[in-house]
Amino acid sequence: MYEAQRALASPVRNPRMATVIGRLLGAAFLICFGTGLYSHFLQEPLDWMRFPTRPEFLYQVTQGTHIIAGIACFPLLLAKLYIVFPKLFAYPPVRGLVHFLERASIALFVGASLVQITMGLLNTFQWYPWPFPFRQVHFALGWALIGLLVIHIGVKLPAITRYWSKGSLDSDHPEDAVSVDRASDAEAVRLWGSSRTGGVTGRVLDYIDATPRTLTDSVSRRGFLTTVGVATTAVVGLTAGQTFTPLNAVNLFGPRKKGVGQQGVPVNRTSEQAKVADAALASGWTLTVAVAGTERSFTRSELLALPQTEVQLPIACVEGWSQMAHWRGVRLRDLADLLSADPDTSFRLISLEERGSFSKTQMGREYVRDPLTLVALELNGETLDLEHGYPARMIAPGRPGVLQTKWLSRIEAI
Amino acid sequence: MTTSGTGLNPPPAGISASTSQRMRSIRLALVGVGVLLLAWGAFVMFDSVRVSRIPGVALWIAAAIVLHDAILAPIVFAFGIALRRAGRRVTGTVIAIVQGAIVVGSIVSLIAVPTLVAKNFAPANPTVLPLNYGLNLAIFWLLLALVTAGLSVWAFLRWRSPVEAVPDDSGR
Repeated sequence: MYEAQRALASPVRNPRMATVIGRLLGAAFLICFGTGLYSHFLQEPLDWMRFPTRPEFLYQVTQGTHIIAGIACFPLLLAKLYIVFPKLFAYPPVRGLVHFLERASIALFVGASLVQITMGLLNTFQWYPWPFPFRQVHFALGWALIGLLVIHIGVKLPAITRYWSKGSLDSDHPEDAVSVDRASDAEAVRLWGSSRTGGVTGRVLDYIDATPRTLTDSVSRRGFLTTVGVATTAVVGLTAGQTFTPLNAVNLFGPRKKGVGQQGVPVNRTSEQAKVADAALASGWTLTVAVAGTERSFTRSELLALPQTEVQLPIACVEGWSQMAHWRGVRLRDLADLLSADPDTSFRLISLEERGSFSKTQMGREYVRDPLTLVALELNGETLDLEHGYPARMIAPGRPGVLQTKWLSRIEAI
Repeated sequence: MTTSGTGLNPPPAGISASTSQRMRSIRLALVGVGVLLLAWGAFVMFDSVRVSRIPGVALWIAAAIVLHDAILAPIVFAFGIALRRAGRRVTGTVIAIVQGAIVVGSIVSLIAVPTLVAKNFAPANPTVLPLNYGLNLAIFWLLLALVTAGLSVWAFLRWRSPVEAVPDDSGR
């Protein structure tokens, strides 16, 4: 085990580098957790929760950031694991209960982190090759990972504080080095009784030793940091164009592309998946608005005869893409006022879609009263496409796409 | 004990008792809060996911550890050694550039290849995965190769001799 550690020694495998990459990775985890919680509570609010409706692109930013930080975790996590890899061969493997628990928590932390970012990435293009539900597991692992992160910081706090600032890596603290310094070769000989020779391991190690180190420590370290920086910039820069317009031109690997879709807007759930085409295209379609025992139904032409409002609002999806669009329709506030709804009323939005987790959703009063919240009838200057929710859909500022209910059937006060 | 300080060791000499006492309290508090959050995560998992699905989660986590520790990391290690061996007569900077480029290309491929695979399964609708990811990945590697070659030539010309390769690099 000692020899394995020695063979893996490298100038970049030191506690200062672990701290530098570790705090970036920790920041990315915290950003993912915070933005993830925000998205979760937008979709499943507790009773007392109210949310800001401005800026109207708020959710585009929080969820875009969630996905961008998640993608940045790939190079950062792999870099962190590269730095600390020799620790896997710590000897003796377990020195007692506390040491065992520490190592077990690290193993869980590593495995759960890898699963979390992988399932997050695959979810952005709706690929689910695992035998468990995405949303629930991603949410539960989020809590567990933040717990493991806090434990990890607690365990490593002395090293983190010692190596936090620049220039802290020097010969004062050789006992903390992840790598094994050359001076301890003699100690190894003493401990192991002889210099290593036989076996496959011995030959591999001889081969390694026969290979001169051509990189100086500082070239190694700078090269490593540059590589991590370039890799992170590349994976973020080449995918973020799906939400961040200035990078649209270099969106090589994003799962969505701005402007690609019916009427220039990408689609998440299709009319076919939702099985709504017949009901949505039926001539007898009406939108029913119900407030405190009073109900009123509107045909599409009756809705079009009401005062129309035009807004610029993005569709922003939990999967991290977003698309600005031009919407025209009736303010929800005006419909509520027609039925004399109390301004404090929240609404339930019901789709023609009969199944699906978002066929019935709730809208808090802050969105109901917002002048930008529409029952949209037109998109980008045309009659709303069936895939975008014809005959009528919700569009509100700062909400995830899954709550912008398509194929509206009924809106009722709660 | 050259490696793997567990962190719960006694503090090094020279740190005052009160500082180390404070450090100890902070660490215990962090570990305590972390354990609570972890327990909450476990509760959320058991509360919202059917019990029959949970072994699948455990299996994926275990598989991720094996995939990284037993497959990916050794490959990276072997590759680094091979490159070092192959590059004996080249300046260190050139090796660092080539190594870095391979890592960058691999990580971008790690993000891009799943889109290629998933696209084969016919995505849910034409607006999901609308790009030609294979072509884009080829273009990316081509550009990466060109930039790497350019940088390598520049570095080679600048530090022609491997012995004096690194001008005064030791003094940080």
